[in-house]
Amino acid sequence: MTELLKKLCLLDGVSGNEENVSSAIISEIDGHCDWHLDNLGNIIAFKKGKKPSKRRLVIDAHTDEVGLIITDITSDGFLNFTTVGGINTEVLLSRRVRINGNIIGVISSKPIHLLKGDAKTNLPDAKDLYIDIGLSGKTEAEAVVSVGDRAVILSDFTIAESKILAKALDDRIGCAVLVSLLKADAEYDFYATFTVQEEVGLRGVKTAAFAVEPESALVLEATTASDIMGVPPENRVCVLGEGAAVSFMDKATLYDKPYYDAALGSGLAVQPKRAVAGGNNSGAIHLTKEGVRTLAISVPCRYIHSASCVADINDINSAKALAEYMIDGICSGKIV
Amino acid sequence: MNLKENLLNLSKLNAVGSITEAADYAYNELSKFAKVERMSNLTVIGKMNGNADYTLMLDAHIDQIAMIVTDISDDGFLTVSNCGGIDLKTLPARPVTVHGKKDITAVFCSTPPHLSSDKKEYKNISEIKLDTMLGEKAKDIISIGDYVTFCCEPTELLGNCITGKSLDDRAGVAVLLELARRLSGKNLPINVVFLISDMEELGLRGAKTAAYKINPDEAIAIDVSFGDGPDISHLECGKLGGGAMIGVSPVIDSRISKKLIAIADNENIPCQKEVLGGTTSTNADIISVTRGGVKTGLVSIPLRNMHTEVEVVNTKDIISVCDILEAYILSGGIMND
Repeated sequence: MTELLKKLCLLDGVSGNEENVSSAIISEIDGHCDWHLDNLGNIIAFKKGKKPSKRRLVIDAHTDEVGLIITDITSDGFLNFTTVGGINTEVLLSRRVRINGNIIGVISSKPIHLLKGDAKTNLPDAKDLYIDIGLSGKTEAEAVVSVGDRAVILSDFTIAESKILAKALDDRIGCAVLVSLLKADAEYDFYATFTVQEEVGLRGVKTAAFAVEPESALVLEATTASDIMGVPPENRVCVLGEGAAVSFMDKATLYDKPYYDAALGSGLAVQPKRAVAGGNNSGAIHLTKEGVRTLAISVPCRYIHSASCVADINDINSAKALAEYMIDGICSGKIV
Repeated sequence: MNLKENLLNLSKLNAVGSITEAADYAYNELSKFAKVERMSNLTVIGKMNGNADYTLMLDAHIDQIAMIVTDISDDGFLTVSNCGGIDLKTLPARPVTVHGKKDITAVFCSTPPHLSSDKKEYKNISEIKLDTMLGEKAKDIISIGDYVTFCCEPTELLGNCITGKSLDDRAGVAVLLELARRLSGKNLPINVVFLISDMEELGLRGAKTAAYKINPDEAIAIDVSFGDGPDISHLECGKLGGGAMIGVSPVIDSRISKKLIAIADNENIPCQKEVLGGTTSTNADIISVTRGGVKTGLVSIPLRNMHTEVEVVNTKDIISVCDILEAYILSGGIMND
């Protein structure tokens, strides 16, 4: 699982340019299930189990990651950009980026020595940041970069004890768990979707869920953990190492209560997500057609939407175990 | 090693306090061409003798922007203080290396957009905690007083540029190593002393005692200065690719400035003037007032994103600095002016 996660995290897949990630996933799942790509680039897969399922279940993970998109090239050869998905400015400053998977640049701004007054201690406007690729003219820069190109902030994939530090854990964690579910023998039939453009408004999953017409859905995600020094327990949302997080409500979804209760009662390492914050593909899935009973299973992740996400391998294993438990319960009819 | 190899190796290595690897590297490289001694942990002095009893000292500092652990929490979060000027806004979600019993990767805490907006002030580094990801095991590996460094390995950009940490002032150290290589075996008109100095970032301290010890007749500090960007006035910066920046200031000996510029003009070596109204915030400020006073010049390499791990230099500018200084040394500096 860790090797697969590493491979997926190190691929660049900013929303709308997710083919690298999709291709890697297809190479993993091909032969283990039926799959096809839809018009938006979603992978829609069907896993044949030993038995038919009592309910039409889909399990979803999104392939995209937050990043940057080049909006203009200055006369001096610097690149203007805007963010794709929600990224705080503090995690953009002075970072190394990779454009189109091959051009290295750095996000630049005025050095601290030249900043005056409030600018020393307050963040600059993100639109005033620019990328330096080393070239000094517009024509030279245009030869290697085009407006509309995507960029990611570079990171390594670091393992420290049971923790992983990497970019794009949101949601390559979900992708890796879903791949491993598809590669294993299944007891019951289920559908799987690897969906595009989650970070720009839950877009890919809208068409994928329309096509699959599920009755029930599990969304595999990474979610905000704020279990860091100085944050009181009631504001920590969820805690690394305490298991998969399940949501009762976020900014996009009121979750299916029996599924939520079943997850908490599973006896596995599970914790409630203790905040009404964020949102995920559940927001689109649960409103599909006549409505879909939906549960989000998330891996707690510190510093999410930066290039330095931190998650715990034990929680990833817990999320997988909970997904298996819910698949069995929903498909067999034990969880109603 | 050639200039670029030296620069990449020096950028990657660390030198702060008790961590000496970049100074060790410089010592080994310099010892191939000069008589070297270690004045302190990080201070390296290399001498090449010439024909006259006149010594020109060339200075570049080896110390770097870093941090130091001031506290460790039971659950594995560190409080740090900065060694040298750091833009605190750039720290959140940045991975760094903590040099404990072994080197470990840690990451500065950051609150994601789902839970916060971007409004807060960044005034106190002790409020930005460093996550070791080790939990209670952190105390077994890390001690108060351990150093923390940026961990970005240098890499090449397009247009002959290099990005990495500590190019301030490893670019200057690379110039010294390159000059030593070029001058080796040549008949020098004057003595040349290479000073690879410590604690510049803490207030020009290392050069103060080293210049006292060396007691040169003349000195040139080689450092970096602000490189250009679309949000920076041309009055505050030099152009990357525009060549060596020759310091002109009341604290700089004008004979040195003039001769350096004349050499660049005569030899068609790219250069640009850097005019300052007073002190230069480089070792030139302290060297010039050593003992009874030292005639001191300043040559700078334009560098973007100073004091971050994404500093950027253009290798063409570094070559220009080497070309000008080589000719300057071989012409005897301002011994006869």
